[in-house]
Amino acid sequence: MRVRQFRAALGSLVIPLLLLACPAHAEPYLAVETGLKCGQCHVNPTGGGLRTAFGDAFAQGVMPQHHLDTGADTWVGEINRFLSVGGDLRFDGQYQTVPGSASVDSFALEQARIYLDATVIPNRLAAYVDEQVAPGGALNREAYAMYWSASHEWYLKAGQLYLPFGLRLQDQTAFIQTTSGISMTTPDQGVEVGWEHKAWDAQFAVSNGTAAGPEVDHGKQYSGQLIYVEPQWRLGLGMNVNDAAVGSKNAVALFGGLKTGPIAWLAQAELVDDKSIPDDGGRMLATLLEANWLLARGNNLKITSEFLDPDRNVAHNEQTRWSLVYELTPIQFLQLRAGVRYSDGIPQDDSEHVRLYFVEVHGFF
Amino acid sequence: MLWNGPPRGLSLLAILAIAGCAGNGAGLDQNGQPIGSEASGSNGPLTADLQSIQDNVFTPICTRCHIGASAPEGLRLDAADSYNLLVGVPSAEVPSLLRVMPGDPDESYLVLKLQGSAGIVGGQMPLGGPYLPQSAIDAIRQWITNGAPNPATMGASASRESVRAFSIVGTAPLDGAHVSAPLKQIVVAFNHEIDASLVNETNIALERIDLAATTAMQTVPIDAALATGNPTVIVIQPRAALAPGSYRVSVRGTGGGALADVDATALESDHAFAFAVEAAP
Repeated sequence: MRVRQFRAALGSLVIPLLLLACPAHAEPYLAVETGLKCGQCHVNPTGGGLRTAFGDAFAQGVMPQHHLDTGADTWVGEINRFLSVGGDLRFDGQYQTVPGSASVDSFALEQARIYLDATVIPNRLAAYVDEQVAPGGALNREAYAMYWSASHEWYLKAGQLYLPFGLRLQDQTAFIQTTSGISMTTPDQGVEVGWEHKAWDAQFAVSNGTAAGPEVDHGKQYSGQLIYVEPQWRLGLGMNVNDAAVGSKNAVALFGGLKTGPIAWLAQAELVDDKSIPDDGGRMLATLLEANWLLARGNNLKITSEFLDPDRNVAHNEQTRWSLVYELTPIQFLQLRAGVRYSDGIPQDDSEHVRLYFVEVHGFF
Repeated sequence: MLWNGPPRGLSLLAILAIAGCAGNGAGLDQNGQPIGSEASGSNGPLTADLQSIQDNVFTPICTRCHIGASAPEGLRLDAADSYNLLVGVPSAEVPSLLRVMPGDPDESYLVLKLQGSAGIVGGQMPLGGPYLPQSAIDAIRQWITNGAPNPATMGASASRESVRAFSIVGTAPLDGAHVSAPLKQIVVAFNHEIDASLVNETNIALERIDLAATTAMQTVPIDAALATGNPTVIVIQPRAALAPGSYRVSVRGTGGGALADVDATALESDHAFAFAVEAAP
């Protein structure tokens, strides 16, 4: 009964309020667009995965071009007052060309993920699981317990978790993700301490440094970020040190967001020094600049430019990537994406000259 | 009044200009290394041998992610590590399959991941594409069908690896690892081809131990043999399923009849690594 009452309250109060708010769309730029922290819409304070009741209401009341009225039956992800579920599904149709190779066109289920959160002590203690269930066999991405302080300013997380370091993008192949080696495909096992106070947001994690594999040495990975969030802009500094026997890997990132009218900007620049690569060949630079132009409610144009210097000791080896993606959210919980992605690099390497054209169906709840 | 920023068209043009241009590749080889440098070399056409696969696939494509301390699944595919971490080594995602099963590409997890076959965990590789052309996959399949030979241990092409002291370069499970039952096999990888006649229960032992006391509680009967098609790897199979508990693998490298490579070079010392088997969830 309480659950129904809560849903009705959300349906009658929260969604209309959100409809009056400035419209915005999904993923990190959503936070920039709204001036909110990641934890406002996601159970995970560092973003990604299960949405909060606020996030679910936002997805229904603000994101879609048209809101299909479901009356009081509003999805907020709650099975009961202790258990919440959610999920994401992405299905793509792609056409890809690489010089010297036959073009490829294919349909592919990119991912289906299920989230489960058990809040065993309301607002204080929770157990959380993020499981990729397709394609292929089940693959755990996150599984942790999280304890919040009474003031909700501090938390302690322990288990398998995504590491705090810069922008957490949906595109796991972005240069800033592959260069640092920190993305939603490389969670790690360890502990994380978080702090949220007014405009400040900080996390620090100590983990095995094996991308969720078994520990192989005594070295540990240290990841952290400090972010200052204002309604119109935010600025963050991230660091990562992976002290491994094979050679340490160090990274530092400066990242932020800015809202200028209907455009939400994201930017990140990171320097990486991977000592495991011989001849000092692991000194890299990766940048990302992205504009998200809210053309109309439910219609977003995303333009991204990326730059990679894979070895700063070598000249003329830089790579670039351009993406133009149109995102339409026609109704709540359904997004259609269409885009092109151009990669360029040295003329000698055909694999750096990829042309990707894709359409994607993204369902989420 | 809040700043609404520069004109939108100008903003979007700016983003196109900021990223700069890709390198023109002047003075570089196919892998982006300066021509004439130690790291440079001609890739040549892709053929069914590890060196060619390394130069044409692993180094230019896979090491964009699979390198260094943070390599996904601990799989480093740089030239120094790819063979030892692939051949005869159980995959992290599906431990019942070896990453490369010499002689059997259809049972090699590497091939299944590259093909995007049913039964893999996670996405097809390379993640996000472009996926390898069938000709490249066919070359890798053929290399595996041929027994997945390692050029570093073959005659005139022996590299500096072969002149190093005979030593262990990898184990599965790793030292200190916790694995879920059932554990079907244990893998010990070496840097040289092993003298098969010395692979016996005297030199290779598996014991159940009390971690607190670090003492052996029980010797576990095993069968130990060289991996199929990979004479640098020893595969240890317990004769009975391992019960949950802690175990230690010992490799005797000293004394008469100690484990040695085909050039009769023994390990410089005895080696051991321990792991724990946990009940299946």
